[in-house]
Amino acid sequence: MRAILIITIAFIFSSCLRLDDNLYNLTDKITEYKLDNYTGENDFVLDNSYQIQDSLVHLFTLSSKTSSESVATTIRAIYIGSLSKIKTDTVIMYCHGNKWHMDFYWQRAKLLAHVSGKNKYGVLMIDYRGYGLSEGKPTEDGLYADVDAALQWLKINGLSNSRLIIYGFSMGTAPACELTSKPRSMTPSKIILEAPFASADVMANDGSGINMPGSFFTNLKIDNAEEIKTISQPFCWIQGTNDNFLNINTHGEVVYKNYKGLYQEAHRIDGADHGEIPVKMGFVNYLNTLSTFIKK
Amino acid sequence: MKKNVRKRYNFLSIMQRKKNSSIFKQIPLGFFYVPICLFFFSSCTPTRFVKPLEKKQNAIAANLGGPLIHFGKAVTPIPFTSVMYGRGITKSTTVFGSLHLTSLLFGNFQTDLGVCQQLYKNDSLKFGITINPAINMVYDKWNKNFRAWPQLDFNLYKDILKQRAFIYVGLTNWFELSSTKAHNEKQTNHILINPHIGLSYNTKKWGYTIEGKFLQMNKNNKPNVVDYIGIQQHGAVGIYLNFTRRF
Repeated sequence: MRAILIITIAFIFSSCLRLDDNLYNLTDKITEYKLDNYTGENDFVLDNSYQIQDSLVHLFTLSSKTSSESVATTIRAIYIGSLSKIKTDTVIMYCHGNKWHMDFYWQRAKLLAHVSGKNKYGVLMIDYRGYGLSEGKPTEDGLYADVDAALQWLKINGLSNSRLIIYGFSMGTAPACELTSKPRSMTPSKIILEAPFASADVMANDGSGINMPGSFFTNLKIDNAEEIKTISQPFCWIQGTNDNFLNINTHGEVVYKNYKGLYQEAHRIDGADHGEIPVKMGFVNYLNTLSTFIKK
Repeated sequence: MKKNVRKRYNFLSIMQRKKNSSIFKQIPLGFFYVPICLFFFSSCTPTRFVKPLEKKQNAIAANLGGPLIHFGKAVTPIPFTSVMYGRGITKSTTVFGSLHLTSLLFGNFQTDLGVCQQLYKNDSLKFGITINPAINMVYDKWNKNFRAWPQLDFNLYKDILKQRAFIYVGLTNWFELSSTKAHNEKQTNHILINPHIGLSYNTKKWGYTIEGKFLQMNKNNKPNVVDYIGIQQHGAVGIYLNFTRRF
């Protein structure tokens, strides 16, 4: 009887371990953004033809606050493009993946600044709270609030919904889907998901091999596979067939299949692993694919 | 213009740029390092009782161990723990129940209830065969999800060292009865096969067991969010320890 009582009490008060915090990859600490001078690990480095002139690269801070917070968190952002043209340009809101910071994703952001031509579209990227030099600690609500803070900034600077493209890579597909499915400051006109994950349930299923729900391990509510059902904006999905982190069949294909909106296109990149898509596609092909989709 | 923007948005700096002359320089490094100790709750403890207890004998046991994963540059087992109670109903039948402590720390009540049944015993050759039908159940307090998986273990053991120890080999099988998985996708894994091998040393009151398992040998472990150490990209190798006190 005593044992049952102890177990019951332990169960009620148990909660000290969840994987939520461990899912965020913040291992590489930096003291400043080096961008082109960054010499750490990278998926690829672009040559000089992709150089962006200094006057078009803007580092700044944003204030971000979730609905449950009383104090705002300061996060870091980079805008590539002419600030005065936000009123008229198309802008790609790039939601980066789980790894480290914007220095790591700088090459990707720079590449996106060449969609449809050099600096044809503006590109905005942020470090979510806890990433890079952004303050605070990562949370799921924080991810959404931080991207929304970036969208607020774009709105203040004159961007309209019709010229906003949201692009999510890997973990960044969560805020991309969330803020397209349940818009806050702005409503993206198109959504691009590169190597999306489906949900915590799929991660648990893949990891265990059986139908184990994600709630056994994490309180994350991220569920792109369900949220995509409510998105009607044109949708472009890109994923490598050799994605060794997020299985294309259990993650990307499910997200793609669940889309019920106006227009969708899929790019399954033969042999590409999780971070290899621009390289395996070839930069020109990658840029043309995005350009065609955005102009459609 | 720039000054104005700096004022409004607290610009940090305009960066120094590296003049990189290499053309599409490739640095083949992995994209993700995910330090997550996940899953395989489906294989988190050693085989329950390889040999039945004596009639009316009781035992409590502590289990520790799990599948090996790459954790950064190191190799480590996921540290699953559980405690177990068993009682000999007859000399060939033992019932048992366990509580999974690691799972409990995650807010899940996970238990398995089962029977160890002696199927065959050869006293002269000092070996025997047992089976352990069991059911493993998990309930989480967060989303109130409940799952149950039947389990059936087979063991062939051989007494050694004048019956103070035994070695054993066997199979731990889990059965997924659900026809679907997340997002109503079709479930294709219905039997998880985990062969194991172990050594148990026993004193009058204590038992010490070390066991190795090849978890989910029939399942490709790539691609996956967890970097399991398997064999030829299948399953995961697990190491487990068990300490038993009989009374």
